[in-house]
Amino acid sequence: MTADTAAASHQVVMGWPFWIATCLFIGAYALIVSEKIHKTIVAIFGAALMIVLGILTQEEAFHSLDLGVDWNVIFLLISMMVIINIMKPTGIFEYIAIRSAKVAKGEPFKIMAIFSVVTAVVSAFLDNVTTVLLIAPVTLLICQALELDVVPYLITEALASNIGGTATLIGDPPNIMIASKAQLDFMAFIYHLTPVIIMVLIAYIISIKFIFGKRLTVREELKERIMAMDEREAIKDPVLLKKSLVVLGITIIGFVLHGMLHLQPATIALFGAGLLLLVSGIKDPHHVLAKAEWATLFFFIGLFIIIGGVVKVGLIKWMSLEVLKITQGNFFGTAMIVMWFSAFASAFIDNIPYVATMNPLIIDMAKQLWPNLSGIQLLHHPDLMPIWWSLALGACLGGNGTAIGASANVIIVGMAEKMGSPISFKKFMLYGMPLMIESVIICTLYVWLRYYVLNI
Amino acid sequence: MKVKDLMIPIHDFLRPDVTLKDAVNLLHIARRDADKQGVKGLPVLDDHYKLIGILSMRDILKAVYPSYMSMMNLGNFTWDGMLESLAKRAGAEKVAAHMSRDLWTVQENDSLMECVDLMIKHDIKRVPVLDQSGKVVGMIYERDVFNTITNAMFDGRPGGEK
Repeated sequence: MTADTAAASHQVVMGWPFWIATCLFIGAYALIVSEKIHKTIVAIFGAALMIVLGILTQEEAFHSLDLGVDWNVIFLLISMMVIINIMKPTGIFEYIAIRSAKVAKGEPFKIMAIFSVVTAVVSAFLDNVTTVLLIAPVTLLICQALELDVVPYLITEALASNIGGTATLIGDPPNIMIASKAQLDFMAFIYHLTPVIIMVLIAYIISIKFIFGKRLTVREELKERIMAMDEREAIKDPVLLKKSLVVLGITIIGFVLHGMLHLQPATIALFGAGLLLLVSGIKDPHHVLAKAEWATLFFFIGLFIIIGGVVKVGLIKWMSLEVLKITQGNFFGTAMIVMWFSAFASAFIDNIPYVATMNPLIIDMAKQLWPNLSGIQLLHHPDLMPIWWSLALGACLGGNGTAIGASANVIIVGMAEKMGSPISFKKFMLYGMPLMIESVIICTLYVWLRYYVLNI
Repeated sequence: MKVKDLMIPIHDFLRPDVTLKDAVNLLHIARRDADKQGVKGLPVLDDHYKLIGILSMRDILKAVYPSYMSMMNLGNFTWDGMLESLAKRAGAEKVAAHMSRDLWTVQENDSLMECVDLMIKHDIKRVPVLDQSGKVVGMIYERDVFNTITNAMFDGRPGGEK
C-alpha cells in the first residue's frame, strides 16, 4: 500500500492553478475565521474568483456533482426554512414551550431538563438555530416569571440543540452535507447516530443535574405564575396549524422512506414546502420566502465552489495523502482521529466549512485505499462507514466546546447579552467544553464497541 | 408656512448619562408652552449642545419591554406585576441606552411638508429643528402640524373646534 500511496501522490501537480486555488482557499478561510468581513461575502467573492481565475469553469461550479454547488443541501435547507416560516405564526412553538414548563410544575431543574429534551428533539428535525430562536424566548419569559438566572437555562439549551441536531440527517447542516456527499439516507442516520445521541442526551441531563440541580430554587408563590398560564391561548391559527402538522408529518414520513422511494431528501423537503405553500392559502409567498436565511444559503453556495476549486487542483487529495501517512491504514485510528480532531476543530471554527473540506478529503482517502471501487461501493465501504459517523459526531458535538463553536451558541450568547446577563467566552467554555468532551467520549466508546468489537 | 413659524423653542433637554427615572421626572415637569406642563419626548444633547438622540414615551415603553417578547407571541403569558418590576429595574438605566438614535431633523427654513414627510416615513411624532450651525433650536410636534392642517381646511377661520 505504501508504494501505491507514493505513486498516487505524484499525481498532484503543484502548478500555478494549484497555488492560486490554495491561496484563495486559505485566504477565504482565514477571513472567515477572523470575522473581519461577513463570512457570506467572503464565500461569494471567493467563489467568483475561483471561476474568474479559471480554476473552475462556470459549468463545473454550477452543475458538477463533484466540484460544484451541492444543490441537495441548498434545497433541503430552503425547503425546511419555508416550512418553519409558515408554521411559526400558528403558535405551536409557544404552546409546546409553555406546556413543558407546566408539565415541570414550575420546578426549576425539571424545567431545565424538560426544556433541554424538548430542544434536543425539536433540533433533531429543525435547524439548531431555528430551534433555539423558538425555545429561548419562552425560556427567558419563564425565568423572569420564576425570578431565575437565565444563563444556566440558555447555555443548557444551546448545548442540547447541538446534541439533538446530531441525531438525524436533517438535524444539523454537517449531517445534511455528509448525507449528500456520502449518499447516506435518513434511516442510516437514525440507525447509526440516534442511538448514541440518546445515550449522550441521558448523560447530559444527569451531568447538568449535578452541575445546576442544587443551585436552582424558586419561591412557591412564583410557580403560580407558570401554572396560571393557559398554553392553549398560544394557538393563533388552529386551521393552519392542523394543515402544517399534516404536511410536516407527511414530510417526515417521506424522509423515513426516501431511500426506498429513490428520492433525495431535498426532493422530499421541497415537496413538503410546496405542499404547505399550496394548502396554507398564502396569497403572496414573497414574505415567507424572503424570511429564509439567505445569508446562510449563499454562504453554503460560495463555500461549495471554493472547495470545488481546491478539490480540482488536488489540494484536498494531497491533504488526504498526508492523513493516510499518519494513520497508516489503521481504520479505527482514522475514525478516532477524525472524531476528536473534528470535535476540537468545530469547537473553534465553523463546522460548515470544516465538513465541506472533510467530505472530499475522506472521499479522496477512500479512492487511495480502494482504487478499484467507485460509486456507492466506494462511499459505503464497510471500513469507511464508521469514519463518516465519526465525522458527523465530532463535527456536530464539537460545536458545544465554545461560545463560537456553533451558530446556536452565538445566538444564545447574543440573547443573554440583550437580557443584561452576558455570558463570557470563558464562562461558556467552562460548561461547554467538559460536556462536549463527555459526549465525545461516549461516542468514542460507541464507535469502538459497535463497529470494531461487535461489528454491527 | 415654514418650520420656524410652527416650531416650539426648546426649553428643556436631557443628558445621555441621566437615569430613566430622572428623565421621566423631567418629562413630567418640562414646559410644553407658557401654561402647560409635561411633554411626551425630549431631545438628548451632548456637552456641546449637539443633538445625539430623542427620548420619547415610546422609548420608555421599549425600555420596559423585554426583547424576547418581540421574538414570539408571548403576550398571553405575562403576569400581574411584571410591568411594575421591569419598570423598577429600567429606572436605573441610562438615557443613552434607550434613546432613539435614528435622527430625522429639519432646518428652520424648510417647508412643513418636509416635516410631514419625515413623520410619515419614519413613524415619528416630533421632529427637531436645527439652525445653520446645527444646534437644536426647537421642535415640530405632530399636534401642531395637525392644527395647521385643520386651519387650512377651514381657510384659516377658527372652525376646527371639536
